[in-house]
Amino acid sequence: MADDLYSVLGVARNASAEDIAKAYRKLAKTLHPDLNPGDKAAEDKFKQVTAAYDILGDADKRRRYDLGEIDASGQERPQQRYYREYAGGEDAARYRSTAGFEDIGAFSDLFGDLFGEGGPRGARAGHRFSMRGQDAQYRLEIDFLEAVNGAKKRITLPDGGTLDVTIPAGVAEGQVMRLKGKGMPGMGEGGPGDALVEVLVRPHPVFERDGNDIVVEVPITVDEAVLGAKIEVPTIGGRVFATVPPGSNTGKTLRLKGRGIKGKGGNHGDQLVKLTVVLPDRVDDNLKKLAEEWREKHAYDPRRKLREQA
Amino acid sequence: MLTERDIIKRVQHLTVTRFRVWVRQGWIQPLAKTEQAFTEADMARAALIRDLEDELGFDEDQVPVLLNLIDQIHGLRVELKTILEVLDDLPEEMRATVKMRIERRKGRRR
Repeated sequence: MADDLYSVLGVARNASAEDIAKAYRKLAKTLHPDLNPGDKAAEDKFKQVTAAYDILGDADKRRRYDLGEIDASGQERPQQRYYREYAGGEDAARYRSTAGFEDIGAFSDLFGDLFGEGGPRGARAGHRFSMRGQDAQYRLEIDFLEAVNGAKKRITLPDGGTLDVTIPAGVAEGQVMRLKGKGMPGMGEGGPGDALVEVLVRPHPVFERDGNDIVVEVPITVDEAVLGAKIEVPTIGGRVFATVPPGSNTGKTLRLKGRGIKGKGGNHGDQLVKLTVVLPDRVDDNLKKLAEEWREKHAYDPRRKLREQA
Repeated sequence: MLTERDIIKRVQHLTVTRFRVWVRQGWIQPLAKTEQAFTEADMARAALIRDLEDELGFDEDQVPVLLNLIDQIHGLRVELKTILEVLDDLPEEMRATVKMRIERRKGRRR
């Protein structure tokens, strides 16, 4: 079925009734099946033309077609039914809201309780507006070791309520945890929002974090540096012994495998022990003498490279 | 009773995704939670939301505010209608009294 009946007849939209009749007759004459025996195309076209003229040739039908009340086949076009036509009826009762009507009721001693949610129709006439609750945002400051090992924390909310948060081991600074349904309550059928908790990690005096590795600076004595030693080193999992090989200089880094943060999928970090050679607090004569002898016989120049390059 | 499919078919420019968002937001509420059964009123409401968004250019954040106001207005209208119907049923002389008093009060407010 052609969409535009005017184009089927080959006339303008504002053509007079006379012009339309004339156009129709002209087309009908050339297309009439009895004048075109066996020509199926002509027959189809003739049907179209006739159908178009059925509507456009009738002043009333043409007016309704122009208004869009009927389509090109003469069928009633479905009219949009507006919500207001239903809004007062039983079907829409669950949407109607009488929230906030209590103050109207307050003007009447006798009839006051008939209105609003406390009214006899309260169950039906209550506030049925639905909206998901807002997400609530919180910041939670935790200790370094709590971030590393995981912890359970409780946030006290502005309204006095509390929120229990399970910190997963290895949580990073600035990471946001989403607690489903712990945000603001929703309205009606809408569920509550989520709580978004941003984690802030307080720095630790000893441990530093580099990805899943833990970095610790450990001072050693001159003799430990020269002769090597087994020294006690703090790790996030407690103290362990680490072997300092003989001749370990300041800046040498020992790697303690698997002593870092337990990452996802068994991807454990390591602990990196950065050694610093430290002189004793007080340099005694003994040490002085040793150094003097050393200078005489074993002088070395650790700054040669420095001079060459700058 | 209408299904989701009926509504999508009959409300122009409505897609399944869009309609489901509206249901999830609670803007349109199926009769029973378990089965997706809707009424003619729900269909008209869907057409209203579509008009708000497409024709009138309101965005998704504004729609619930409008629906809330619309729902309140219809709540008020139904309450008012109830009162008027009850007043209409009163004996003639009481109706006349009520009518007179309402007019007097409205006159005073003007």
